[in-house]
Amino acid sequence: MSTEAVPQQLPEHKDLVIEQLVIWYFLAALAYLIISMLGGFLMALQLVDHNPLRGIEVLSPGRWRMIHTNAIAYGFLANAFLGALHWVVPRLTLRQVASRALSYFTFAAWQVVVLSTAVGIMLGEAQGLEWGETPTWIDPLAQLGLLLVAINFLTPIVQTRGPMYVTLWYFTAAFIWTFLTYAMGNFVPEYFVSGTSAGAVGGLFIHDLVGLFVTPLGWGLMYFFVPILLQKPIWSHGLSLVGFWGLAFFYPLTGIHHFLYTPIPMFLQHGAVISTIAVEMVVLTVIINFFGTLVGTGQAFMKNLPIRWFYTGMVYYFLTCLQCAMQTTMTFQALIHFSDWVVGHAHLVMFGVFSMWLQGIMTYLFPRLFKHEWYSKTLCEWHYWLSAIGLLVMATDLTLAGVFQGYWWASLQPWEVSTEGSFPFWMVRIYAGLAMFIGQIIFVYNICMTWQLSRRAAVPATIAA
Amino acid sequence: MFESKSGVLLIAGLFFFALAFVSNAVVPMVMYRHLPEKTALQVVNGNVRYQFEDLARRYPEPFKQAFGSPPAGEAEEQAWWNEKCAEALKVGRKVYVGEGCWHCHSQFIRPVSNEDRRWGPVSRTEEYQNELQRPVMFGTRRVGPDLCREGGRRSNDWHAVHFFEPKRLSVGSPMPEYPWLFEGSPEKPNLKGLALMTYVQWLGSWLECYPDHEQYEESPTKALTLTEAK
Amino acid sequence: MPDPIKPVDIEATPRSQNRRSLWATSGFALVILIPSLYGFGGKFIEFVQLYRGDVDGVFAISPILNYLLASMGFFCLFCWAVTQGMFQDIERPKRAMLDLQNQLDYNASSQSGVAK
Repeated sequence: MSTEAVPQQLPEHKDLVIEQLVIWYFLAALAYLIISMLGGFLMALQLVDHNPLRGIEVLSPGRWRMIHTNAIAYGFLANAFLGALHWVVPRLTLRQVASRALSYFTFAAWQVVVLSTAVGIMLGEAQGLEWGETPTWIDPLAQLGLLLVAINFLTPIVQTRGPMYVTLWYFTAAFIWTFLTYAMGNFVPEYFVSGTSAGAVGGLFIHDLVGLFVTPLGWGLMYFFVPILLQKPIWSHGLSLVGFWGLAFFYPLTGIHHFLYTPIPMFLQHGAVISTIAVEMVVLTVIINFFGTLVGTGQAFMKNLPIRWFYTGMVYYFLTCLQCAMQTTMTFQALIHFSDWVVGHAHLVMFGVFSMWLQGIMTYLFPRLFKHEWYSKTLCEWHYWLSAIGLLVMATDLTLAGVFQGYWWASLQPWEVSTEGSFPFWMVRIYAGLAMFIGQIIFVYNICMTWQLSRRAAVPATIAA
Repeated sequence: MFESKSGVLLIAGLFFFALAFVSNAVVPMVMYRHLPEKTALQVVNGNVRYQFEDLARRYPEPFKQAFGSPPAGEAEEQAWWNEKCAEALKVGRKVYVGEGCWHCHSQFIRPVSNEDRRWGPVSRTEEYQNELQRPVMFGTRRVGPDLCREGGRRSNDWHAVHFFEPKRLSVGSPMPEYPWLFEGSPEKPNLKGLALMTYVQWLGSWLECYPDHEQYEESPTKALTLTEAK
Repeated sequence: MPDPIKPVDIEATPRSQNRRSLWATSGFALVILIPSLYGFGGKFIEFVQLYRGDVDGVFAISPILNYLLASMGFFCLFCWAVTQGMFQDIERPKRAMLDLQNQLDYNASSQSGVAK
């Protein structure tokens, strides 16, 4: 953000943003989202004993479960974030990315990384690290890709002068953190450390991937899009910076809360519990800030679809963090660790929060990218309601299932009691997942039709803000 | 940048980051010099050797195809068995990871939630200090039971049938089939199948109280009446 | 676009108000610092005892060292940001950002004829 008054000759939007690339990134992201949901669906069918594709090696549910998580993290989230970044960063810094050629190259390279990850996992070459199953021979390539992305976006960011807007703080941090986190998670436990302390590093990795890659990018985008859509600045910029620095200071130690009651020393586990609760306080400041911004313009929540996506995501975020503050305590952990509660929590974060935000962003940006209104606003509404309600049902269902499973295990009943008892929960989960899946299919169909209309229209139609 | 005071802060900040990253890998290495990581060959013990040789007896033809035959001479033969067993453990672990077994089966016993009564002694740090726990297989979800005390609880042919089609042995189990670990029938496991069985039989084989059995008692009152009747 | 709120002029603030805000800040700082220091001190003593007595203690050092180093890193960067004047007139960037984005959209729409 430049300190002086806005320069007279403002760069043109079309010179800043490579719209073609944004579209490509979003489409790639949606393709991986569909693939990932198919993988999750396969695993869900296996659990209720209705897997139609039994005994086929490359379609083994165990392998597709890994594709499910990796396609979401690296296929959907990373691609959608990169697409949004290609829109936001140049507009915010008033400078192009370091190199357009590099942008196109990164796009191609990243798809190669994600696809070869998927193929590697399908062939049974996975690495034994949650969220890091990328086969070891792809890791250096992915690392290089992250470096290129960081260079490409950091170049315009460091050229800005004067106090930075909070979004840029988050982005700068995210580029550096993601690079370091990926290196830490994929190389340290594989080559340097073994045993329990590798477990500690693995715990740091799975959590930092959420906290230091997805969270800062997500909040950064929210701090950009929410004020624009509401047409008023964020409630308090100072408070938003408190949120940023709080995240930076408290996040690094929280990861071990994934492995409470392991042979990792209790001292560290307690540290992780405390810093997790500190992070919840930080989260609270961010939530307060956004709802402070909404005050007075609450109607937008009903009328403005992207705003509804964003704030629904924030409500889910608050729920997630509430859940997190509870489940990180030792008392709760004893009961719900290893159960479906954890699975429900993961879906609430990954789909309920970050996917919701990204889909809100896509709902906002696609008409601008195609220079044409949505083919059908009704279908957009269906997309929203199916996703939001499907997710709510799934998260509630799995959370409950987790509590039941925890008690079944602790009461020393035969193991079958826990799998048979989970059956109704797993059944409900399938239908909830199906609703979410149909929502995404509707969205993709809507995009296709909008694209066709935009090609047919000789004169660009009017876009309602 | 270097001449200003604020530049020093910037450089120092980035430097500390780099240092944190390096120390993440270096400090444990320096610290565990006295507790060196064991290789696969070093973790082969009598219990898992017994199971491995049992595989050779039960499935002579598939075993020969996968691992060959032992050489002549007492010393050479012993060395050969150990070596092949270590190899099987490594391959078995790769299969275990590649098939995503660890997403449904954890490998640690917590001191809470009656887990030590169900599965055996609570996990300790030293158990994870070996090549086969790199990266460590704690796991995060239990659809099926924990496996870190599984070795020796069930026979090899039980495992073979169970991997081939879990439902034949555990009614209602949601575990998928793994027919590609076999050449058509549970009597003919291939290299991957034999290796995975060796790996599973290895888990917990280092403990003194090996093998651990789940204590299934029909009902405590019934057991009580039985003892009183005596 | 509503008229942005004027940033508080520090020079013009009366002295008594300055003192009052100083008291308030110190009060809040104490409320936060005393329990934190108490907790941290207790944990630190526990840690030293653990390290001396238990083999497992060594496992605790590496992540703690990393955390301290990373926090030092953040602290240095934070100080750097302060010296760069990143937190002066802290509320201005939010308004500048919005004005800029609206200007960009306005320019784009006036050129291509797409109404915003």
